[in-house]
Amino acid sequence: MIVHDVVCPFCGCLCDDLELEVEGDRILRVQNGCSLAEATFMNDTRLPAPIRRTTNGWEEISYDAAINETADILKDADRPLLYGWSSTHGEAQSAGVHLAELIGAVIDNTSTVCHGPSILAIQEVGHPGCTLGQVKNRADVVIYWGCNPIEAHPRHMSRYTTFATGFFVPDAQRERTVIVVDTRRNDSAGIADEFVQIEPGGDYAVLSALRAIVRGKDSVIPKKVAGISKEQLIRVAGICKNAKFGAIFFGLGLTMSRGKYKNVRNAIELTDELNRHTKFVISPMRGHGNVYGSNEVFTWMTGYPFAVDFARGIAFYNPGETTAVDILRRQECDAALIVASDPGANFPRDAAAHLAKIPTVVIDPHLNATTALSHIHIPCTAAGIDAAGTAYRMDGVPIRLKKVIERGYPDDADILKKIYHHLNGERGP
Amino acid sequence: MKCILNTGRSVPQGASVEHKGSEEYLSVVSICFLNTVDMMMLGIENGARVMITSPTGHVVLSARLAEGVTRGEIFVAIGPYANHIISSETHGTGMPDFKSQYVDVEVTEEPVRSVGELMEEIGGLRYDCT
Repeated sequence: MIVHDVVCPFCGCLCDDLELEVEGDRILRVQNGCSLAEATFMNDTRLPAPIRRTTNGWEEISYDAAINETADILKDADRPLLYGWSSTHGEAQSAGVHLAELIGAVIDNTSTVCHGPSILAIQEVGHPGCTLGQVKNRADVVIYWGCNPIEAHPRHMSRYTTFATGFFVPDAQRERTVIVVDTRRNDSAGIADEFVQIEPGGDYAVLSALRAIVRGKDSVIPKKVAGISKEQLIRVAGICKNAKFGAIFFGLGLTMSRGKYKNVRNAIELTDELNRHTKFVISPMRGHGNVYGSNEVFTWMTGYPFAVDFARGIAFYNPGETTAVDILRRQECDAALIVASDPGANFPRDAAAHLAKIPTVVIDPHLNATTALSHIHIPCTAAGIDAAGTAYRMDGVPIRLKKVIERGYPDDADILKKIYHHLNGERGP
Repeated sequence: MKCILNTGRSVPQGASVEHKGSEEYLSVVSICFLNTVDMMMLGIENGARVMITSPTGHVVLSARLAEGVTRGEIFVAIGPYANHIISSETHGTGMPDFKSQYVDVEVTEEPVRSVGELMEEIGGLRYDCT
């Protein structure tokens, strides 16, 4: 059977034009997807059953036993941490927030180590953004700053920018100017019209220099800024000012390097400056399939997009204090529930190490590095493969993930609801 | 040799990200990409092993030439190897220095450890369901 218009849940592009050939509980072929989509659907190896760590090994346990023990762990904890949420649907994220409120936990999502700083910058100066459809149909100048779409979002260029035919940009490859700014000459730089190679940590200075040039203050710019010649900076500023519609996409090259959210703030303020001459927009290249959704769900339920602390009985938000890495580094939490993510592999060692010292429960379809640090791992459905649900694309457009096969696993939202009911005496939220 | 550690995604890393115990994942996230001149300075070729040391700890990686990496910088795909030596300090932002950790690079004969071994070093226990 061929299933049409399937959404790939892997990255923030949420490409919704895939075709899958399905037979029973198996996916036989993926069409239109990139190699990441193919791996997501074709190599979906799951943990077969819930497991619990014993004194010197592991044992399989029933779902009921795993859920009851998880509820007991959370009930006994003084400062539980609920972390992850970006690779599942909004329904599970919503159940997670209800659970956090019930037990007075800290709930954080993976944007804390991804575009969390971008959110801090947006909270300071706003977000002049737009949907990817606008970029596709209108943008004649596209800037990729500190990101590598060919490796991280392989179809971004073919669906929305460099190679995408747009309504006002019919001959995309000739009419769109692509600028790549990075510390590395990465694969995306290879197909750019202009590559700007910045010295590591120089983003803030280069953004400031471009702002000055756009304002007509060329004379204050030295011969070189963070390894980039004044001539190239003036040329890039000129390309931007002469654009009919410019779009900046930025990645972790800005959020993770020196300056962090201040880099993003400066990039947004450059966009603001360019809007005095032409139309310019800026958007983050969100990584996980539904990481944007975790920000949406957290915000509409608590008022804050990540790092929400319910210990006071109300939602409290203070990145740097209530963010997952900081709570783990300070060895503050005494239990952890990890859903749809892998902090064991993606957090610095000191932070990950604390997960092994406390009772940690993982709810994730796949065996991952955090499994080794956990006390219990409960396998579940994978959103977009054997569970339907809502996910948000990187531009904030909600898209319904399809259930394409049945594999017999319980939905993570249902597991979370059972834990909630166990803790709340069978009463709903 | 003093360097700045840069990390990021790659297609092979993304394609094997849900198979963290696999040889494929190990071979992708345990590679340290270096500039040609830095490889010459160290006197090594592709496949040689390098010990990367930061104030937080050390990890052994497999060296590989990459034209796009500048001198004084090394690139490692995101994952447990890079994170083994990245500090958990976030400077009040929640975000560690994933792209600007200062490290020392030296040649070593020690083997590259598996993801399971790295997790066991911090108190974990591997689970093998194969």
